[in-house]
Amino acid sequence: MRLAEWQLAMPLTLAFAAFFLAPLLILAAISTFDDDQLARVGFAQWIKFLGDPFYWRVVRDTLALGLMTVAATVLVGFPLALVFVEASPRWQRVLLFVIVLPLLTSVVVRTFAWIVILGQEGVINRTIMALGLSPAPLRLLQTEFGLILALTQIEMPLLLLPLLGVMSRLDPALGDASQALGASRWRTLFRVTLPLAVPGLVSGCLLVFASSTTAFISQSVIGGNRLVYLPLVIWQQSLVVYNWPLAAVAALTLLVSVSACVVAISALGRQIAGGRAAGVAHG
Amino acid sequence: MRLDRRRFLAGSAALGAVGLGIRPAWAKGSVTAAVYPGSWEEAFRGIVAPALDKAHGVQLEMQALYAVDQIAKARAARGQPTFDVFVLDPGPRVSGIEAGVFDKFTPSKLTNLGAVPAGLADEWGVTVAAQVVGIAYNPKKLPPPKDWDDLLKDPWVSRLGLTGFQTTFGTVSIIEIARRFGGSETNVDPFFVEMRKVLSKVATIGTPQSMAGLYQQGQCDVLYTNTQTVSTLKGRGVDIEFVKPASGAVAFFTTMHLAKGAAEPENAYRYIDTVIGRDVQAALIQPPWNFVPVNREVALGPELPMKTLDEMAGFVRHDWTKINPLRAGWIERFNKEVAK
Repeated sequence: MRLAEWQLAMPLTLAFAAFFLAPLLILAAISTFDDDQLARVGFAQWIKFLGDPFYWRVVRDTLALGLMTVAATVLVGFPLALVFVEASPRWQRVLLFVIVLPLLTSVVVRTFAWIVILGQEGVINRTIMALGLSPAPLRLLQTEFGLILALTQIEMPLLLLPLLGVMSRLDPALGDASQALGASRWRTLFRVTLPLAVPGLVSGCLLVFASSTTAFISQSVIGGNRLVYLPLVIWQQSLVVYNWPLAAVAALTLLVSVSACVVAISALGRQIAGGRAAGVAHG
Repeated sequence: MRLDRRRFLAGSAALGAVGLGIRPAWAKGSVTAAVYPGSWEEAFRGIVAPALDKAHGVQLEMQALYAVDQIAKARAARGQPTFDVFVLDPGPRVSGIEAGVFDKFTPSKLTNLGAVPAGLADEWGVTVAAQVVGIAYNPKKLPPPKDWDDLLKDPWVSRLGLTGFQTTFGTVSIIEIARRFGGSETNVDPFFVEMRKVLSKVATIGTPQSMAGLYQQGQCDVLYTNTQTVSTLKGRGVDIEFVKPASGAVAFFTTMHLAKGAAEPENAYRYIDTVIGRDVQAALIQPPWNFVPVNREVALGPELPMKTLDEMAGFVRHDWTKINPLRAGWIERFNKEVAK
């Protein structure tokens, strides 16, 4: 008996509905209760959340954290990727191992290691003071700067892996042709290599953005309670005060706002890639 | 016999074990208990599990969960708990009673009950450990603070590690600070008023889980915490001393409870009885565990701020039925006023 295409897709569809769609619908349903006993239906928690400027600020800070982490990761990661593609196959194997290595260690361990690095008596502060650059230790922990620094290292593999996948497949002859036609190395980089790397860059940026905005452990350990982001609000409301409807509202807000940014970044990437490709074709 | 999720998994594993020629470890029965992660989990694995096996032939299966996680999980399970016994601080205990996730408890089933001070067992459960909360500081860097309000004064405030209301020890400490400035168990306004004046000086505002690490790294040199944490850090060679505040250290109790719908209630009683037994309690007070015992037959260590358990009756205690309804608002206010 031959199965129709829709029948073949049924197991996957059912699995998707059971494990992705159903939990989201339950979350949405929980957000429509007024009380933590889930007895009174209403939108009091939505009104409370959306009517409070504090929560808007938390949403803004969460998204800003993601965008700044993406920017920092690209700034460091793209040159690393260039070094990678220029390296010999043997060095590429070594570099790939170094890039993947952080993924093999627990994020908790990596995050706590950053306490040692960023602390008042940490590596950075000791170095700064030993060089006489500052008479007193700088406050690096529990600052947005310190958190972005840590997240840049923690999230780096998520940017590099898709980026390297794309850049490794680029034909080296394209760069040679560009330079043979008189383009400088910088012009070749910005007009040939970068546009062709955009798909990998966009994929990496999306992963870094989604991961850093939801990185509860790093946010709470490095940022402490001085910096409040949506994952902390969700944790407090669901596990400390058991206000599940408000936690569900915060979780859905995080989901929607991060998804909106992901779509925007993706669209921007496609536009840049399209524009650059046209530029390459006509330029 | 009821076939639930846990029995199904256990049965499947047992069949697999038999197939491999291995005798199932829970042949004489088992109990599944929630245990706090970290030192509690290690201590219970090393001391309580062997003692329970030796005394009753019961295997201890542990689920590492913080108190708040246990209540959340039990509420989500709706009568199908994944563990038989809760271990909780007073706030989550009250939440558990209100949420109806406990079965009624019969203290008379415990053979060691006579060694536990009066008032530590009731229809909901029994106390298995005490906690004493006060101030800890680095004696090499700071003079000893005398009372809770010193934490908001120089030189301590600029070296202070602050945590919010997420934990029992954080909540009671802030209440005590507020009290020193005219507040009460239900009014922490003075804490926020005073905190606003010194907020920029505070060294660290961290999550409770990271405070010990932050202290070890020199990010802060004074904080509020319990004697157990101080003893543990001291045992690792950290410069730290416990101060019993002049207005009183805070005592609160950690209790165990039967989960409603528990699969192994009789083994749960055997487990709890083992935990409060003299030998187990005597082992748990030793480093690196440093528990505060509840069994009168166990001698207290010199590092504790009391000579007998009865002295704890004079320590500051709090009514969590009053605190719990206010806590969500306090957490939100802490986020708004103390965070950036």
